[in-house]
Amino acid sequence: MSLKVLALAGSPRRHGNSETLLEWVIGGMWDPNYVEIEKIALDDADINQCKGCNACEKLNKCVQRDGMDILHDKLIAADCIVLSSPIYCMGLCAQVKALVDRAQVFRSRKYVLKLPVVPAEKKGKRIGIFLSSAGQNWDYVFDAAVPSIKCFYHVLDVRDKDIRYLMVNGVDGKGAIEHHPTAKKDAEKLGVSVIADLRERIN
Amino acid sequence: MNRSDITVLGISGSPRRHGNTETLLDEFLKGALEAGGKTEKIVLKSAKFEPCRGCNACHKTGSCIVNDDAVKILESAINSDILAVSSPIYSMGITAELKGLIDRGQYIWAQKFIRKTRFYTNEHISHHKGVFISTAGTGWDKVFDAAFPMITAFFNTLGFEYFDNVIANDMDRWGGVKGHPSALSDALITGQNLVTKLKKI
Repeated sequence: MSLKVLALAGSPRRHGNSETLLEWVIGGMWDPNYVEIEKIALDDADINQCKGCNACEKLNKCVQRDGMDILHDKLIAADCIVLSSPIYCMGLCAQVKALVDRAQVFRSRKYVLKLPVVPAEKKGKRIGIFLSSAGQNWDYVFDAAVPSIKCFYHVLDVRDKDIRYLMVNGVDGKGAIEHHPTAKKDAEKLGVSVIADLRERIN
Repeated sequence: MNRSDITVLGISGSPRRHGNTETLLDEFLKGALEAGGKTEKIVLKSAKFEPCRGCNACHKTGSCIVNDDAVKILESAINSDILAVSSPIYSMGITAELKGLIDRGQYIWAQKFIRKTRFYTNEHISHHKGVFISTAGTGWDKVFDAAFPMITAFFNTLGFEYFDNVIANDMDRWGGVKGHPSALSDALITGQNLVTKLKKI
């Protein structure tokens, strides 16, 4: 039995600060015999915006055919979903917001159709990790991103108490996070601790 | 300044046409028109633009390397006297469409804070009024809270005073905005009053 980790790098800018944070976290999870990690850059994932048509409330699936068809199954199969986003204009970047909005199909499944989102054996065991970086140094710079992230994880059957956050402010230019005093250590430690946590839950 | 010609731009950020939020925006624009404003509506769903690539090229040049509808919309917005930005609440935030447009305003932010080629006087800001229009299905009273900081950032970048909200939650219970006791008239009156107010400045 192995653990599945789905790591979604949400920034349109490849290998920037938020994606570096994600690399460090999955680096801390590294255990090729036990942990299967898949990383996807949302920029390559072809995720359209939600049309707001509400068809998923009846169909239990989205009417759009795009990269979400692939991501849908991966989001269900994962034991841990890691999502990273930079803060743009006080919020998630539009690409990540598009993914969050497209999770509407899970919301419909869970709350409208009252069907299971994940197999029974995974219920209450999944962990979500939200990673973010912001150029501004304000301590409230992540506040408006978090409620949408909570929605995303809740509809994917990750309990509120099972969402872990690592959000680093005051890192602006490309590579700035490399010079942050604690980010790398915190990220690797988070990766290690989440795998230890999951190991206990699953076995 | 000739204050007889107040321009009012409404931006509809919903992917769904003629839904609750756009209906509220339409009422606001109707009120603005009745008070003598020159109104225009842009529907983001019908526009073609990419989200911001985060390339930061605008930090060097002050302009966006992506030449699409977003730049045209942002330039119309910045040249309006009144800007009404509307979005329904999806997953506790504004729609990805509207966030996409706001993120593309980065080149204007760069003009202001990095290139220092753009500066708004207090007088300019007080003569440019921004209104946020939104609806939400849930009745939770905090449902708009996470939208406000992004709208604030947008108005600040464009040189607008964040003047008012026309917001209505609990749409699921009211059976849509048309069933809401006060939202439509609030929108109409806000539009009327704002144009009247700006004319007097």
